[in-house]
Amino acid sequence: MDYRKIVEMVPIEKREKLSAKLIDFILKSKNADKMPSSLANIILHHWQRGPLTNEAGLAALLEAAVVLESDKTMNFLGEELQLLDVVKAIKAVE
Amino acid sequence: MVRFGIEFVPNEPYWKTTFYAIQAEKKGFDNLWITDHFNNRNVYVTLTAAALHTEKIKLGPGVTNPYLINPVVTAQAIASLNEIALGRVILGIGAGDKTTLKSTGVEMRKPLAAVKECVEIVRRMISEKSVTFEGDVFTTSDARFFFKPRTEIPIYVGAQGPKMLALAGKIGDGVLINAGHPKDVDYAVGCVKKGIEQAGKNLTDVDVAAYTSFSVHEDLKKATEAAVPVVAFVAAGSPDVVLQRHDINQEKAEKIGEALKAGKWGEAFGLVSSRMIKAFSVCGTPEICTERITQLLKSGISQFVVGSPIGPNVRKAIDLISDKITPHFKT
Repeated sequence: MDYRKIVEMVPIEKREKLSAKLIDFILKSKNADKMPSSLANIILHHWQRGPLTNEAGLAALLEAAVVLESDKTMNFLGEELQLLDVVKAIKAVE
Repeated sequence: MVRFGIEFVPNEPYWKTTFYAIQAEKKGFDNLWITDHFNNRNVYVTLTAAALHTEKIKLGPGVTNPYLINPVVTAQAIASLNEIALGRVILGIGAGDKTTLKSTGVEMRKPLAAVKECVEIVRRMISEKSVTFEGDVFTTSDARFFFKPRTEIPIYVGAQGPKMLALAGKIGDGVLINAGHPKDVDYAVGCVKKGIEQAGKNLTDVDVAAYTSFSVHEDLKKATEAAVPVVAFVAAGSPDVVLQRHDINQEKAEKIGEALKAGKWGEAFGLVSSRMIKAFSVCGTPEICTERITQLLKSGISQFVVGSPIGPNVRKAIDLISDKITPHFKT
């Protein structure tokens, strides 16, 4: 399963909150150097065009957050948003 | 109506700076300035990334210097950038800072002449087919591009001292005044006006900007804490006349400088006083910052530049500026 499919599992009403948190994670991350430029360019492309809540933008953001801040991202998805199936799907991709 | 600019220091990966640049454009900022120091990411690479991901915001180096980058190379870089962001490119030129130049073994020789000559060479390289120039600092001999620059590019001169400020008013399309306190900006605008008059121009012909160290947060303490490191560097580098203007103890400023030089950050930042913060930054809650900008506008500036650190959280600070500060000046 790719990240686009995983994002489809996130209920629409939770996407804005997820997007805001993931942006915080990647911007504050001390692992910023781990960001693949191909992923960064996709995020910037979608950020220029909208609020990063569309599926393509959110998928890139989620993938980047998992690369940079895996534990924080998993905890937020599982504990805060109660999206245990999403956590499971990401672990399967990793 | 006053224009709002924002400055980023490219000390983080390009994608973070570009992310903030996109956000600044979305939030209505007019100008994007990227600082140019060899020890950070390259200014033109950073600007290229920002240019490719924005459509309206004007953007350029704020500021580059003629000592490390030869004027013909600066002209080449901004003319190339202007192909990516046609009509949106602006250029800030200043003398540079002594500490950075010293570390590269480059002497800051005749700064007034260097900046003046740099501005002339850049303008001519962009508008003329071939440039032969003989100045006190720079010479060119039939220097020419093998491409045709697309449009003229407004040149801003970064300045702090009275002579450079007057020169900036005289030769610049804009002036970047390195100050954020009304006393300093008042004085600086006075100097700029002298240069403008000498050139037979009007104040409205020149975009005069207060280029400030800025920090905003809803919590005053957090805003202040974020400003302290920048203020430490400004205080340590300020001439005596500026320290006296703000009644700041010169010895204390010297001690900060010594601590910074020795890499004793905690000691240096601990010596920063509330008086220094007030003198060398625009810092506080949105209400406090709005009040300070209102005061600065009375000096006659036409652009306010929100400079580093912007706030303890840059993304939230940009939102805060756009939601709670700029609306006071954009109606």
